[in-house]
Formats: sequence, C-alpha cells, structure tokens
Amino acid sequence: MSRVITQEVAQSLYKATRTAHVDADVSASFSVGDGIQARNVNPTGHTRLPRYIRGKQGMIAADHGVFQFADSLAHGGGKQPQHLYSVKFTAQELWGADAPAKDSLYIDLWDDYLEPTEMGT
Amino acid sequence: MNSIHDMGGMHGFGPIEREENEPVFHHKWEGKALALARTGLAGGHFNLDEFRHAMEKISPVDYLSISYYERWLEGTIAMLEEKGVLDAGEVEQRMKEIS
Amino acid sequence: MTSNDDVALRVRALESLLLEKGLVEAPAIDEIIDLFENRLGPQNGARVIARAWSDPAFKARLLSNPTDAIVELGFEAVQGEDMVVVENTSRVHNIVVCTLCSCFPWATLGLPPVWYKSAPYRARAASDPRGVLAEFGTEIGQEAEVRVWDSNAELRYMVLPEKPAGTDGMSEDDLMPLVTRDSMIGVTKALDVGEVTP
Repeated sequence: MSRVITQEVAQSLYKATRTAHVDADVSASFSVGDGIQARNVNPTGHTRLPRYIRGKQGMIAADHGVFQFADSLAHGGGKQPQHLYSVKFTAQELWGADAPAKDSLYIDLWDDYLEPTEMGT
Repeated sequence: MNSIHDMGGMHGFGPIEREENEPVFHHKWEGKALALARTGLAGGHFNLDEFRHAMEKISPVDYLSISYYERWLEGTIAMLEEKGVLDAGEVEQRMKEIS
Repeated sequence: MTSNDDVALRVRALESLLLEKGLVEAPAIDEIIDLFENRLGPQNGARVIARAWSDPAFKARLLSNPTDAIVELGFEAVQGEDMVVVENTSRVHNIVVCTLCSCFPWATLGLPPVWYKSAPYRARAASDPRGVLAEFGTEIGQEAEVRVWDSNAELRYMVLPEKPAGTDGMSEDDLMPLVTRDSMIGVTKALDVGEVTP
C-alpha cells in the first residue's frame, strides 16, 4: 500500500483529503440534548479523551456523523466506525464552582467514550 | 495514555510567549522534518493516529525540552523503525557518515 | 535541549536515507515545504471571513455547512476536510485550542503559530480562557459567554469574528486585512479600521 512521494504526488497533497468521516450506516447511541457522562478510563494506548473530561457530565450538542476511531487506528485496529459528537460541558462542571457560570467547553467525543446519565442538562 | 501531552488544565508553564510576524518555519530543517513526516504518512508507511501516539510516547522530560518539529522528527523516526522501513540505529549511523 | 546543528544533522540523515531507499524524491520535499510556506495560510481564512461579512447568503452557508462553503472559495485542502465555523457576537465569544497536540485548520489558517502549540496555551486555554484572552489583550465582559472548543478529534475549528464597527459598505478586499489569524483562532477580535497598517 506504500507509494513513492514524487513531485507529482507532493503537488496533489494540497488537496489530498484524508477525511476521517466514514460513509457507514452505524446507529447513534445518543441524540442532541442527551445528558452524558464521559467514561473514567485510563488506557495506556492512544486516546483523544483528555483526563480533564473523564468522569465529567455534559450534554450532546451536535452529532457530527460517523467517523473512524483514532484509538483503534493508532494500534493497528480497524476503523471501528462510530458516531462522533460535539459535547458541551459547563466550565463549572470541569473546573469547579469558581469558574464563570456562563462559560462552557465543547469537545468532540466518540460513542465509545460516553455513557448515559439521568441528568438532562 | 496519561502523559505530558494531555495538558488541559495544567498550571505552572508561565505566560504565553508570542512572536510578531512569525515565519512559517524558523529553520530550514523544520520544513524538511515536516516534509519527511508527510512522506511517511502520504507514502502509506504509517497513519496519523500512529504518528500522534509515537509523539506522545516521547518521555515527558524530552517532550517538554525539545521543540515542536523535533517531536515530529522523532515521531517519524520511531514510526519508520517500528514499521521496519529503517533499522534501529540507522539514522545515527548515517549522522556519523555525513557529519 | 538539542543544539540546532545537531537536529539539522539528524534531519539531513533521515532525508538522505529516505531518498536512498526511494520513499521520496528530492523535488517532492521542496514541493511540500512550498505548499506550507506559501499556499496554505491565514490569507485563505481571511478571504472566507471577508466573504461572510459581505455576503449574508455565504455566511449562512459557512455556518451551516462550513466544509463545502470553504471549498466554494477554492480552499479544498488538507486538514480542512471536516470543518466547523463558530460565530463570535457581542454575547458569545469562541476560542479554539488543541490541548492534546496541535490540531489546526491548515486549509484556511496554515500551520499553527508556535504559541498555539506551546504548553502554556494548551494548558490554560481550556481551564482559564478569560485569563488567556486577557493575555492577548482581549477583555470579555461577564455578561458574555465564553465557549472553548478543544479540537481534540477529527473536526477542525475556525472562528468567524465579529465584523468591526464602521465597516459598512467596505469591499471584501478592503475587509480582508482586518481579519487576522489570531481573530480566527478567537484569541483576539478582528482589527478596527484604524488599526490596519497600509
């Protein structure tokens, strides 16, 4: 599957679109507006779930559709296509009561990072 | 993995240092390091997620003390060795030959 | 810290090995460097924002389907495949960070500046965005909401800055210099007309 990077190939790299979007019919575990909790996990491999998000509760703000899963691809696994969501966390949920009440943080989280909560933000 | 790359929320790194009219690359080798990393990626020798993980595996002390494109360089070398494109020590041997 | 000469030597060693093994041809290396130095950069994003400020229909498309709207202007490029554009207003201020690495919308902004990839920014933009904004000279009142976007995964984020006052009737070309790279990351606002050096 490897190829030589010639000048011609290099020229094509401007457009070379490596979209991580996967055209697959995978059902979503969550809908916009759902309350979620990020899983408390500590994998020794690659993950895009930062420590400051783990165990925290947020709300699904948008569903980006189906994407390949970085945690799997980093270790020779398959694409494990699954929904990727924009998830909203309040600044106070992440950083405590001293954080400004109105502020928030949005982060993209795959289905495998999330579990449902009773809290509907 | 829980390492130094996962920086969100940390304290103690000091103020953000900015440079007016910053060039895209500060040294010629930085552009080359990026081009060689793109070679490995676009050439199909390793994927972007493997490459990111290779950089995360740089020891925390080194991660913080080397520059951004040095991390790219070390990530590229580590991946090419892992994939068998380069033998371990081949880069060091070549450095001796051309220095 | 490794000396600059040592790193340069290490890069040359890797380059010579990859050329010798036939992974890459020498002109391709120059081509890739040229792509990042000259073709990708915040001038592309400034065009997108100036168009959005001038053309309400384009702005609507940019916010609802950013990837395709950006492609419309010819910026169909690497690290712009899946874009999100967020709008700054008097009530909401958006700021973008990648806490885990350096994810950045190359297609519209080019490679990120050193400060964006640096530990101080990655560490504090998520937890203390107002403090970070103040360091950039950007004060956001308590009545407004600050939203941080951690571009940790596969989406790439760009801010649509608020159109500065006194710019009604200005052409797209005249608006472009007001759109700075930093304003599209969200650490500053767009420049006022009087701040542009001719």
